[in-house]
Amino acid sequence: MYFEDFLKPELIWTNSDASTHLEVFELIAAKAHKELFVEDNFLEKIKEREETFPTGLELEGYAVAIPHTDPECVKEQFIAVLTSKEGIPFKRMDDASKEVKANIIFMLGLNEPHSQLEVLQQLMGVLQNKETVEKLLSFDNESDILEYLKGVTK
Amino acid sequence: MEKKKVLVACGAGIATSTVVTNRVERILKENGINAEIEQIKISEAKGKQKGADLLVSTTILPTTYDIPVVIAVSYISGINQEGTDKKIIDALK
Repeated sequence: MYFEDFLKPELIWTNSDASTHLEVFELIAAKAHKELFVEDNFLEKIKEREETFPTGLELEGYAVAIPHTDPECVKEQFIAVLTSKEGIPFKRMDDASKEVKANIIFMLGLNEPHSQLEVLQQLMGVLQNKETVEKLLSFDNESDILEYLKGVTK
Repeated sequence: MEKKKVLVACGAGIATSTVVTNRVERILKENGINAEIEQIKISEAKGKQKGADLLVSTTILPTTYDIPVVIAVSYISGINQEGTDKKIIDALK
Protein backbone atom coordinates (compact mmCIF):
# COMPACT_ATOMS: atom_id res chain seq x y z
CA MET A 1 0.00 0.00 0.00
CA TYR A 2 1.12 3.53 -0.72
CA PHE A 3 0.87 6.65 1.43
CA GLU A 4 -1.99 8.01 -0.60
CA ASP A 5 -4.04 4.88 0.00
CA PHE A 6 -4.05 5.80 3.70
CA LEU A 7 -5.25 9.36 3.15
CA LYS A 8 -9.02 9.84 3.27
CA PRO A 9 -10.63 13.07 2.06
CA GLU A 10 -13.11 12.89 4.93
CA LEU A 11 -10.33 12.63 7.53
CA ILE A 12 -8.52 15.91 6.82
CA TRP A 13 -9.09 19.19 8.64
CA THR A 14 -7.37 22.50 7.97
CA ASN A 15 -7.07 25.44 10.37
CA SER A 16 -8.79 23.58 13.15
CA ASP A 17 -10.01 25.72 16.03
CA ALA A 18 -9.72 22.81 18.45
CA SER A 19 -7.87 23.92 21.56
CA THR A 20 -7.14 20.60 23.26
CA HIS A 21 -5.92 17.24 22.06
CA LEU A 22 -9.10 15.68 23.42
CA GLU A 23 -11.20 17.82 21.08
CA VAL A 24 -9.02 16.67 18.20
CA PHE A 25 -9.40 13.03 19.19
CA GLU A 26 -13.18 13.36 19.52
CA LEU A 27 -13.47 15.01 16.13
CA ILE A 28 -11.33 12.47 14.28
CA ALA A 29 -12.66 9.45 16.12
CA ALA A 30 -16.29 10.41 15.53
CA LYS A 31 -15.69 10.72 11.79
CA ALA A 32 -13.58 7.57 11.57
CA HIS A 33 -16.27 5.69 13.46
CA LYS A 34 -19.02 7.02 11.20
CA GLU A 35 -17.02 5.85 8.17
CA LEU A 36 -16.64 2.42 9.82
CA PHE A 37 -12.84 2.60 9.90
CA VAL A 38 -12.59 1.91 13.63
CA GLU A 39 -14.16 -0.15 16.40
CA ASP A 40 -16.45 1.37 19.04
CA ASN A 41 -13.67 1.59 21.61
CA PHE A 42 -11.25 3.55 19.39
CA LEU A 43 -11.74 6.95 21.03
CA GLU A 44 -11.39 5.56 24.51
CA LYS A 45 -8.24 3.62 23.57
CA ILE A 46 -6.56 6.49 21.77
CA LYS A 47 -7.16 8.82 24.72
CA GLU A 48 -5.84 6.23 27.12
CA ARG A 49 -2.70 5.57 25.07
CA GLU A 50 -1.89 9.24 24.58
CA GLU A 51 -2.21 9.70 28.33
CA THR A 52 0.25 6.88 29.03
CA PHE A 53 2.52 7.24 25.99
CA PRO A 54 2.22 10.76 24.60
CA THR A 55 3.20 11.51 21.00
CA GLY A 56 4.08 15.22 20.78
CA LEU A 57 7.30 15.95 18.93
CA GLU A 58 9.20 19.23 18.98
CA LEU A 59 11.07 19.95 15.77
CA GLU A 60 12.95 23.02 14.64
CA GLY A 61 10.39 25.80 14.41
CA TYR A 62 7.28 23.68 14.62
CA ALA A 63 5.76 20.74 16.44
CA VAL A 64 3.78 17.69 15.40
CA ALA A 65 1.92 14.86 17.09
CA ILE A 66 1.28 11.35 15.83
CA PRO A 67 -1.38 9.81 18.09
CA HIS A 68 -2.02 6.13 17.41
CA THR A 69 -3.35 3.10 19.17
CA ASP A 70 -3.67 -0.65 19.23
CA PRO A 71 -4.17 -2.39 15.89
CA GLU A 72 -7.22 -4.23 17.27
CA CYS A 73 -9.22 -0.97 17.22
CA VAL A 74 -8.67 -0.33 13.51
CA LYS A 75 -10.85 -1.95 10.85
CA GLU A 76 -9.63 -0.02 7.82
CA GLN A 77 -6.23 1.65 7.87
CA PHE A 78 -5.99 5.43 7.60
CA ILE A 79 -3.85 8.46 8.34
CA ALA A 80 -5.95 11.44 9.45
CA VAL A 81 -4.48 14.94 9.13
CA LEU A 82 -5.37 18.06 11.09
CA THR A 83 -3.60 21.41 10.96
CA SER A 84 -3.70 24.20 13.52
CA LYS A 85 -1.96 27.56 13.21
CA GLU A 86 -2.20 28.18 16.97
CA GLY A 87 -0.92 24.75 17.85
CA ILE A 88 -2.63 22.20 20.08
CA PRO A 89 -0.97 21.17 23.35
CA PHE A 90 0.40 17.63 23.45
CA LYS A 91 2.77 16.09 25.94
CA ARG A 92 6.16 15.23 24.55
CA MET A 93 6.88 11.71 23.36
CA ASP A 94 10.19 11.54 25.23
CA ASP A 95 9.28 13.64 28.27
CA ALA A 96 5.70 13.78 29.49
CA SER A 97 6.49 16.64 31.85
CA LYS A 98 6.90 18.94 28.85
CA GLU A 99 4.31 20.12 26.35
CA VAL A 100 4.54 21.08 22.71
CA LYS A 101 2.01 22.97 20.62
CA ALA A 102 1.45 20.71 17.66
CA ASN A 103 0.73 22.49 14.37
CA ILE A 104 0.08 19.27 12.51
CA ILE A 105 -1.49 16.15 13.88
CA PHE A 106 -1.24 12.89 11.96
CA MET A 107 -3.48 10.35 13.61
CA LEU A 108 -2.40 6.88 12.57
CA GLY A 109 -4.99 4.17 12.23
CA LEU A 110 -2.80 1.14 11.53
CA ASN A 111 -3.48 -2.53 12.00
CA GLU A 112 -0.72 -4.39 10.17
CA PRO A 113 2.51 -4.33 12.15
CA HIS A 114 5.64 -4.65 9.98
CA SER A 115 3.91 -4.26 6.65
CA GLN A 116 3.51 -0.50 6.46
CA LEU A 117 7.16 0.52 6.82
CA GLU A 118 7.31 2.44 3.58
CA VAL A 119 4.22 4.45 4.43
CA LEU A 120 5.62 5.30 7.86
CA GLN A 121 8.95 6.31 6.39
CA GLN A 122 7.19 8.61 3.98
CA LEU A 123 5.28 10.11 6.89
CA MET A 124 8.52 10.64 8.85
CA GLY A 125 9.96 12.31 5.76
CA VAL A 126 7.00 14.68 5.66
CA LEU A 127 7.11 15.63 9.30
CA GLN A 128 10.89 16.09 9.32
CA ASN A 129 10.77 18.54 6.42
CA LYS A 130 10.19 22.12 7.52
CA GLU A 131 9.25 23.38 4.07
CA THR A 132 6.67 20.63 3.62
CA VAL A 133 5.15 21.31 7.02
CA GLU A 134 5.00 25.05 6.36
CA LYS A 135 3.34 24.41 3.04
CA LEU A 136 0.77 22.12 4.68
CA LEU A 137 0.03 24.81 7.26
CA SER A 138 -0.56 27.37 4.52
CA PHE A 139 -3.50 25.49 3.01
CA ASP A 140 -7.06 26.53 3.80
CA ASN A 141 -8.85 23.65 2.27
CA GLU A 142 -8.71 19.91 2.69
CA SER A 143 -8.36 18.95 -0.94
CA ASP A 144 -5.17 21.06 -1.28
CA ILE A 145 -3.65 19.12 1.63
CA LEU A 146 -4.67 15.83 0.08
CA GLU A 147 -3.22 16.67 -3.33
CA TYR A 148 -0.01 18.10 -1.87
CA LEU A 149 0.59 15.10 0.38
CA LYS A 150 0.00 12.74 -2.52
CA GLY A 151 2.57 14.71 -4.50
CA VAL A 152 5.33 14.77 -1.88
CA THR A 153 5.01 11.10 -0.99
CA LYS A 154 5.15 9.75 -4.53
CA MET B 1 30.54 -13.46 17.94
CA GLU B 2 27.57 -14.20 20.14
CA LYS B 3 24.15 -13.25 18.90
CA LYS B 4 22.63 -10.25 20.64
CA LYS B 5 18.98 -9.59 21.24
CA VAL B 6 17.48 -6.14 20.87
CA LEU B 7 13.94 -5.15 21.84
CA VAL B 8 12.45 -2.20 19.94
CA ALA B 9 9.41 -0.71 21.65
CA CYS B 10 6.84 2.00 21.23
CA GLY B 11 3.48 2.61 22.87
CA ALA B 12 1.40 0.48 20.54
CA GLY B 13 4.22 -1.64 19.07
CA ILE B 14 3.07 -0.76 15.58
CA ALA B 15 3.96 2.71 14.34
CA THR B 16 7.16 4.38 15.48
CA SER B 17 8.76 1.06 16.46
CA THR B 18 8.46 -0.09 12.83
CA VAL B 19 10.54 2.85 11.65
CA VAL B 20 13.06 2.36 14.46
CA THR B 21 13.34 -1.40 13.85
CA ASN B 22 14.24 -0.74 10.24
CA ARG B 23 16.99 1.70 11.16
CA VAL B 24 18.37 -0.50 13.94
CA GLU B 25 18.51 -3.49 11.57
CA ARG B 26 20.47 -1.40 9.10
CA ILE B 27 23.04 0.04 11.50
CA LEU B 28 23.66 -3.31 13.18
CA LYS B 29 24.30 -4.86 9.81
CA GLU B 30 26.60 -2.03 8.80
CA ASN B 31 28.56 -2.47 12.00
CA GLY B 32 28.79 -6.23 11.75
CA ILE B 33 26.72 -6.89 14.85
CA ASN B 34 24.83 -10.15 14.77
CA ALA B 35 21.51 -9.50 16.49
CA GLU B 36 17.92 -10.58 16.58
CA ILE B 37 15.42 -7.74 16.84
CA GLU B 38 11.98 -8.03 18.34
CA GLN B 39 9.39 -5.29 17.94
CA ILE B 40 7.14 -4.96 20.99
CA LYS B 41 4.79 -2.72 22.95
CA ILE B 42 6.64 -0.95 25.74
CA SER B 43 4.29 -2.60 28.23
CA GLU B 44 5.79 -5.96 27.21
CA ALA B 45 9.39 -4.88 27.81
CA LYS B 46 9.52 -5.77 31.49
CA GLY B 47 8.53 -9.36 30.77
CA LYS B 48 10.74 -9.73 27.70
CA GLN B 49 13.98 -8.20 28.95
CA LYS B 50 15.32 -11.52 30.21
CA GLY B 51 17.79 -12.76 27.63
CA ALA B 52 17.81 -9.39 25.82
CA ASP B 53 20.84 -7.11 25.61
CA LEU B 54 19.26 -3.77 24.83
CA LEU B 55 15.92 -2.00 24.80
CA VAL B 56 15.40 0.73 22.21
CA SER B 57 12.28 2.82 22.85
CA THR B 58 10.59 5.78 21.21
CA THR B 59 8.40 6.41 24.19
CA ILE B 60 8.81 7.33 27.83
CA LEU B 61 9.58 4.41 30.08
CA PRO B 62 6.80 3.38 32.47
CA THR B 63 9.27 1.56 34.73
CA THR B 64 12.95 0.73 35.08
CA TYR B 65 14.72 -2.17 33.39
CA ASP B 66 17.66 -4.44 34.11
CA ILE B 67 19.10 -3.98 30.61
CA PRO B 68 20.47 -0.81 28.98
CA VAL B 69 17.91 1.45 27.31
CA VAL B 70 18.36 3.86 24.42
CA ILE B 71 15.63 6.40 23.67
CA ALA B 72 15.33 6.72 19.90
CA VAL B 73 12.97 9.66 19.37
CA SER B 74 15.61 11.10 17.02
CA TYR B 75 14.64 8.52 14.40
CA ILE B 76 11.18 10.06 14.37
CA SER B 77 12.16 13.72 14.65
CA GLY B 78 15.18 13.41 12.36
CA ILE B 79 17.29 15.44 14.79
CA ASN B 80 20.68 13.92 15.73
CA GLN B 81 20.03 10.39 14.45
CA GLU B 82 23.76 9.66 14.32
CA GLY B 83 24.06 10.26 18.06
CA THR B 84 21.43 7.60 18.66
CA ASP B 85 23.14 5.20 16.21
CA LYS B 86 26.32 5.51 18.25
CA LYS B 87 24.55 4.87 21.57
CA ILE B 88 23.01 1.69 20.17
CA ILE B 89 26.27 0.40 18.72
CA ASP B 90 28.19 1.23 21.89
CA ALA B 91 25.63 -0.55 24.05
CA LEU B 92 26.06 -3.77 22.06
CA LYS B 93 29.84 -3.81 21.75
